[in-house]
Amino acid sequence: MSDARPAVEQVQAAYTQAIAEVRTVHGIPLLRMRKQDLPTVAHFLHTNPNLRGSLSLLWAVDHRPREARYELCYLFTLAKRKDWLLLATDLHGEEREFPSITPHLHAAKWYEREIRDLFGLIPVGHPDMRRLVRHEHWPKGSHPLKKEFPWDRVLGRVQGQYAFRKIHGEGVFEVPVGPIHAGIIEPGHFRFSVAGEPIMQLEVRHFWKHRGIEKLFEQQQLTEAVPLSERVSGDTSVGHSMTYCQAVETLLGVEVSPRARYLRTLFLELERLHNHIGDVGAICNDTAYALAHAHCGRMKEQLMQLNDRLTGSRFLRGVNCVGGVVLDLSGIQLAQVEVELNALEQDFSAIEKIVFANASLTERLENTGILTEGIAWDHAVMGVVGRASGIDRDLRRDRPFAAYDVLQPNVALYRYGDVRARMRVRLDEIHESIRLIREVRRGLPLGRLVSQPMHQPQPGAWALSAVEGWRGEILYMVMAGEEGRIHRCKVRDPSFVHWPAIQWAALGNIVPDFPLINKSFNLSYAGNDL
Amino acid sequence: MFRIINKSLKTGVVTGDHPDTEAPPELVSREAIEKAKPFRRSLTIREVDTGSCNACEMEMNALANPVYDVERFGVHIAASPRHADALVVTGPVTVNMERALKDVYKATADPKIVIALGDCAVNCGMFKGSYAVTGPVDQHIPVDVRIPGCPPRPVEILAVLAELRKDCPNSDQ
Ligand code: SF4
Repeated sequence: MSDARPAVEQVQAAYTQAIAEVRTVHGIPLLRMRKQDLPTVAHFLHTNPNLRGSLSLLWAVDHRPREARYELCYLFTLAKRKDWLLLATDLHGEEREFPSITPHLHAAKWYEREIRDLFGLIPVGHPDMRRLVRHEHWPKGSHPLKKEFPWDRVLGRVQGQYAFRKIHGEGVFEVPVGPIHAGIIEPGHFRFSVAGEPIMQLEVRHFWKHRGIEKLFEQQQLTEAVPLSERVSGDTSVGHSMTYCQAVETLLGVEVSPRARYLRTLFLELERLHNHIGDVGAICNDTAYALAHAHCGRMKEQLMQLNDRLTGSRFLRGVNCVGGVVLDLSGIQLAQVEVELNALEQDFSAIEKIVFANASLTERLENTGILTEGIAWDHAVMGVVGRASGIDRDLRRDRPFAAYDVLQPNVALYRYGDVRARMRVRLDEIHESIRLIREVRRGLPLGRLVSQPMHQPQPGAWALSAVEGWRGEILYMVMAGEEGRIHRCKVRDPSFVHWPAIQWAALGNIVPDFPLINKSFNLSYAGNDL
Repeated sequence: MFRIINKSLKTGVVTGDHPDTEAPPELVSREAIEKAKPFRRSLTIREVDTGSCNACEMEMNALANPVYDVERFGVHIAASPRHADALVVTGPVTVNMERALKDVYKATADPKIVIALGDCAVNCGMFKGSYAVTGPVDQHIPVDVRIPGCPPRPVEILAVLAELRKDCPNSDQ
């Protein structure tokens, strides 16, 4: 996409000295520079009023054994047309330090800590050098994504303790919650500092579920890792597998057929539907409105059973494969889907009316857990959470994939950033998903399901891919290795971006409202911890 | 108010609106049934996730929805292991969750049963061998019942729970 040119030129004009190389990687402009110039260029990209780049992804690659270097890549989404721009730098030989950009860009904070933990590279100048992914009991020097680290030797255990940020003062006390919680939810630790009722500070300590997924990817063949991607975050099986497949398809030069693209759209929207309806119910449940929860639970179940009938999996697993989709739907099945969804939409609208007629419920949702547009922007927040805080981003519209270039989704946008706004976004998207599925049925073209690869990728070739899952932007970077293997696979679930943001949304709220705020974000622990 | 009643009447009862399982569960051993005897009429479950992909959790949550309504069989989900008769563990045990799992096991009062839910909990599934995974659940705590599947459907979980607590001829019901 050469339309990012002006941006590249602006950066080039401003930093002629710094930039060593300009090229495009599958249509995305990439600027390579010396590491010491990175912070200034990143700062320029982020703050320049014409560009306003938001950091979407930051990843590292260990190029050994082919080359003795580490590479760092920074993906920016530019404000105006949501174009992508990449910055890259190399650490050669024994170099282990790179300058942190976190002092300029808040959104880089967790990425840089993650890189430090997984690669042992040190972000010099980072304001928070505590461990993130590695818990304190991991032995010193275990950096799993270094190539010499064995994927299958279980980590040892040493003593150590995480130092939580402390607030000192009279009447301030800490409330630790987790890692095991009261409901049926995933493990994670929350540390509240409170004085009286309001939360003064919240610190999340996650990565309890770290399973080494990125390392496991490196043990697989490019074409065979789809089941693993479905298990990054179970509730987003379609979203993750689709993002993975798209990246590999770019690498292999596969042109996915229009029919497969439409079917993928259908499955992605079905996934959005059951999750959003479940979330609406769960938000109501956390305000103790069991009636709406029961109705939504019933409808969610109805959708899961529909998924099961269509694909043999309640989570729509096993539908995506590299090159297209595994399974076809007949005209009769599609007609049934439409009938069922029409009924469901009516059913759901009735519940919506009941919910919003209930003042004691909406009262709880308003002004609770506000994430302001400013903070959302600083953290590069997107997806449902972003769209509730005035961040107008949706990959389905901005960088169309699957069949969204034809289908043209409408994007829900709210500004208040409270729980109600996040619920509102979901409600709008539920109706929009049903509309899109109708459109899919109407426009579904004929054609093959799976397309064949054109070529084998060179070792070291890589591709990026992005999908708007039901939570937000899912990003994958897949780099090919020798003989069709994966050299590196960077997985980014939107939860990784939103967990730091939730710490801000909770401030000033009372602890009993936190479960409600958390539900309105509904972030994945599994997708975050990897 | 009228709207709510109207909606409830129109919706009717949805409990049991699900396809049945095909295969009857052969997975529950005699010993497990014997061990579950005290809980035949009421079983309180604490769910522990030690590193799942969260699909198994979603299916556990689904058990509480109106369609499966597990409470009608006297199964409750407890908020604390101290109140639980059974632990349902999902996911392979990650290095970071190993301690927490053992602590939860200790905190659960005897007698107790442990149910490993999903392929991951039974044999680590896709995550087998990873540096961050210490092994399946039975590597760390004794497991009485194993429910394979990725994830097992809620009906399958229900069927195992029913099998586990089925009437023995010499029981006093
Ligand atoms: S068994 Fe399957 S569904 Fe359950 S946690 Fe493991 S990967 Fe997820």
